[in-house]
Amino acid sequence: MAVPEATLSHLNRADGSATYSSNGYTVVGAVNGPIEVQRRDELPEEAAIEVNIRPAVGVGSTKERYLESILQSTLRRIILTHTFPRTLIQLTLQVVNTPAPFDCPFTSSPLPLLPALLETAMLALLSASLPLASTYTSVGLALAMPSPVKKKASLSATAIMPIDDKALEQASSIHVFAFTADGDLLVAESEGLFAPEYWEHAYDRALELCIGSKDGRAEGEMVVEGEPEDRNESQWLRSVMQEKAEQEQRWKT
Amino acid sequence: MTSTLLLLPGDEVPSSLLPKGNHKPLVLGPGLRHAPPSSVRATVSGTLTVDARKNALWIETNRGRYIPHVNDLVIATVLRSSSDFYHCTITPHAAQANLPQLAFESATRKTRPQLAPGALVYARISSASRDMDPELSCVSASSGKADGLGPLKGGMLFDVSLGFCRRLLLSESKVPLPAEQGGGAVTILEALAEKIGFEVAVGRNGKLWVDGGDVKMTLAVGKALQQTDQERLTLDQQKKLAAKTLRELGS
Repeated sequence: MAVPEATLSHLNRADGSATYSSNGYTVVGAVNGPIEVQRRDELPEEAAIEVNIRPAVGVGSTKERYLESILQSTLRRIILTHTFPRTLIQLTLQVVNTPAPFDCPFTSSPLPLLPALLETAMLALLSASLPLASTYTSVGLALAMPSPVKKKASLSATAIMPIDDKALEQASSIHVFAFTADGDLLVAESEGLFAPEYWEHAYDRALELCIGSKDGRAEGEMVVEGEPEDRNESQWLRSVMQEKAEQEQRWKT
Repeated sequence: MTSTLLLLPGDEVPSSLLPKGNHKPLVLGPGLRHAPPSSVRATVSGTLTVDARKNALWIETNRGRYIPHVNDLVIATVLRSSSDFYHCTITPHAAQANLPQLAFESATRKTRPQLAPGALVYARISSASRDMDPELSCVSASSGKADGLGPLKGGMLFDVSLGFCRRLLLSESKVPLPAEQGGGAVTILEALAEKIGFEVAVGRNGKLWVDGGDVKMTLAVGKALQQTDQERLTLDQQKKLAAKTLRELGS
């Protein structure tokens, strides 16, 4: 799995911004808030969250609205919205790059884009220094069952791989997961043909990719080991923020 | 006093870092919240700063939108005036702040400053809560004196990051390391002020007002400060930039 790339706080006029690219997807995100809210969206006890997603080509459609609804309900649990009642937190995500389209069962599916959107949103929120309850990381997985006809396909024969072009070609189902830093499940979206035990298998793998294996959960230890196979999304997020903090504190040293 | 521990939202502050042996109550600054029963969790990403003497800890961040807090000095822009208040903006698109027309030094119904829309005011936040619009004041609550607050005439406004504003407002004694040891506050202001005269007002809301007498001087000082912020210049680089700016001004 390729290491994702991220740039933080590169848009001067936004309160927080980030660019994230991974597996051929590049998304630019900007966060503004807390700002004044329109009367009809105003919530008396918490901040309203508005998510706008713009596709790489053309104008937004049902697919983008669907993704927006997933992000909105996810972020409501992450941002401490009660800190800013009667305000608006606005998140704009512009898809810049997507992999070249090719023929596969999931060509029109919104899910392969979702992990990149979730990660960009997280980085932009961290860049904006908005109060959050926790961080989260997200991963997309493709499941390739030997054959959907064979009901007794063993779990071990099933290939689980991160979503990319090669994986999508053979995939029978795709799954997107997001976990908080403590390992709580935040988002689980699936599409395609699969059985519950396959989902559980994918869940375990996703948890491992996001926050590391259960044995070596202690963060300090994981960093020291530093082997590329051991890398997980949480570690990566921490390293990105560490780099940014060091840049910002440069004047102190 | 400082540590280099990076915290992400949701991380627990290690109890070994909490200041101990002090009878004062523990003070949690920006970016931290108390998670009952006895742990302290971060809500923003940044490095943890612990002040053992004051029994306080907080997280340093540089970016983001300014959230009004009582007693902060800000540069506000007047939007419009009503019979009793000037309605001002502290950060764009956020709730308007109210500045009472009589909250200026020795202002009475007859002698109060007339501020047109767009005028700049250097003010103190006298009340701020999440449920109400912030209120501004240009007089000290105890003495009734202006203490340098009031309308800002002439000059120009520059946008800088919130962290840089805090650095500019740090007094010498609060600086983590003295300037000779390479740490500390911004020296470019002193370096420039040795040769040229200008006025500066720093608002906690990421605004910097500069008046150098003429446009050339104002722009040169403002641009130099903006560059110091954006490129995060070290002390030596600041001195070089100051020399370059002075050379270009021909003084």
